[in-house]
Amino acid sequence: MGKWGMGAAIETHGLTKDYRSPVKEPGLRGGVKALFNRKYKDTRAVDSIDFRIEAGELVGFLGANGAGKTTTLKMLSGLLTPTSGEALALGHVPWRREADFQRKISLVMGQRSQLWWELPAQETLRLNQAIYDLDEIDFRRNSDELVDLLDLGEHLSVPVKKLSLGERMRAELAAALLHRPSLLLLDEPTIGLDVVMQKKVREFIKAYNIRSGATIMLTSHNMTDVVELCKRVIVIDKGRILYDGALDLLVRRYADYKILRARFSTSVSAEDFRALGTVVGSGENSVTLEIPRSRVAASAAALLRSYPVSDMNVEEVAIDDIVRRLFSQT
Amino acid sequence: MRKYLVAYSIALQETLQRRSTLLMDRLGGLAIVVSLYSFWSALLGDQPSFLGYTRAEMLTYVLAINILRSFVFTGRGWLLVGDISSGRISSYLVRPVSYHGYALALDLAQKTVHLASSLVETSLLVLAVSGNLFLPKDPATWILFAVAALLSSLIFFFLEMLVSSLAFWTSESGGPLFCFELFLQFAAGAFFPLDVLPAGLRRLLAATPFPYMVFFPARVFLEKVPPSEALRLLSIEAAWLLAVVLAARWVWGLGVKSYAAEGG
Repeated sequence: MGKWGMGAAIETHGLTKDYRSPVKEPGLRGGVKALFNRKYKDTRAVDSIDFRIEAGELVGFLGANGAGKTTTLKMLSGLLTPTSGEALALGHVPWRREADFQRKISLVMGQRSQLWWELPAQETLRLNQAIYDLDEIDFRRNSDELVDLLDLGEHLSVPVKKLSLGERMRAELAAALLHRPSLLLLDEPTIGLDVVMQKKVREFIKAYNIRSGATIMLTSHNMTDVVELCKRVIVIDKGRILYDGALDLLVRRYADYKILRARFSTSVSAEDFRALGTVVGSGENSVTLEIPRSRVAASAAALLRSYPVSDMNVEEVAIDDIVRRLFSQT
Repeated sequence: MRKYLVAYSIALQETLQRRSTLLMDRLGGLAIVVSLYSFWSALLGDQPSFLGYTRAEMLTYVLAINILRSFVFTGRGWLLVGDISSGRISSYLVRPVSYHGYALALDLAQKTVHLASSLVETSLLVLAVSGNLFLPKDPATWILFAVAALLSSLIFFFLEMLVSSLAFWTSESGGPLFCFELFLQFAAGAFFPLDVLPAGLRRLLAATPFPYMVFFPARVFLEKVPPSEALRLLSIEAAWLLAVVLAARWVWGLGVKSYAAEGG
């Protein structure tokens, strides 16, 4: 046992995953060659990662596309067997896929649906009630609570194909959480949603974490998700952990600014904005600035006061930029 | 068990919900029956029988095919192929549910609807040709027929699971299933009774589970198989079912393992 700590929800040691993919030489000749003598290339998607997540934590798993986030979640949910290394989730080896373990977890992948397309989501909930063996009282209590938290109302009784993407995502969450999993793995829960829906989903995740005390691990390439939800983040790039620690510290060190984009009704010169922040892009009547977090409000006000602004918005730093900065310092 | 009953009831609703798909399926089946009937009528011409089948027997065979097709040939192979290639299979692999059990529940729902519909169609066709049919008088024949048909339908289901599981390895996953389904209809006797084939080919097919799927139940119905022989063939059919179930589970296990190793 030795290396395994007590009571962690998730713990990994040297977790590694290689993918094997066929390599094809270009052109018809390559195609014919591949028919008889296929060559493979191993790609290391996750490279010996170690981390530990305590019960009840809500941890953000950040990285660019292809960094290894989803692969890690798939290993922790038992879908993938690692090439080497070990992991325990809720005290189980995930890839043994024991029913006991499966009843306590849920994996939600933003773009893959478990809902029955032609029927109301209510029917999928009924099916999950049977799959997870919930009695009528638990089923009622859990589904009422989820309908309330997710603001689903009558959407559950409309055929899924008639729902908007945002409504469908929330119905998806209801189906995934009906059995009150104590470990929730969310892969890009806000992908493809509009800003209002993203906010709703985020508020729900936070509320669920507080109410149920569940451990939640979520991947995102959207910094806003993480800033609003997680105290702790793990940043991963090319399969390796670049940072594991408090979000505050990460933000202070590598993302101490926000991005302000403004459009004007007349032409402007980039030079004029140097006093407000770092100019990272400009056009004839637009400018993009990096502004220190503490001065965002003041700078935006100054901009509105002194220039004919036609459109303006303030965004979180892109995750790719944080990764780039982290990378250049490690 | 309850999860599979709920899956059955949901799938039943869904099949009924897709009315136009159902209608198209049924019309397609009817077109086959009508063309087979015209074909055999033309071959029979004025002769009282052809290759050992009287006109009434041949007509009965064709109508029995309509019922058997609806009940036997409704696997969930395409569902599995789709679930594997889209990655939806993941959502089943992380839930405490058996995919084979789940797909079987879905398939039984589909069979229920198609069987009911084919019984109505066949009754109408029987009225249309007014009585020129072979109907067995011995109730034992009906029971044997029902058991044989049930076994065939399960064999078909697990064969489809077996073939569709190849999608775990090939990216052009629909190919094997498509070839399989086409070959199977021919080899099962869903186009014509297999005794019109040359003896060599017939012996070859006899060593496979295929003739048990349509040809055997239809011949039982026509009372062309003596009862003791029918029982012997039924036990062979049951053995085939067992073999196919085991093979499907084995390949499934390998497929899931490879899926877990390679990633979806």
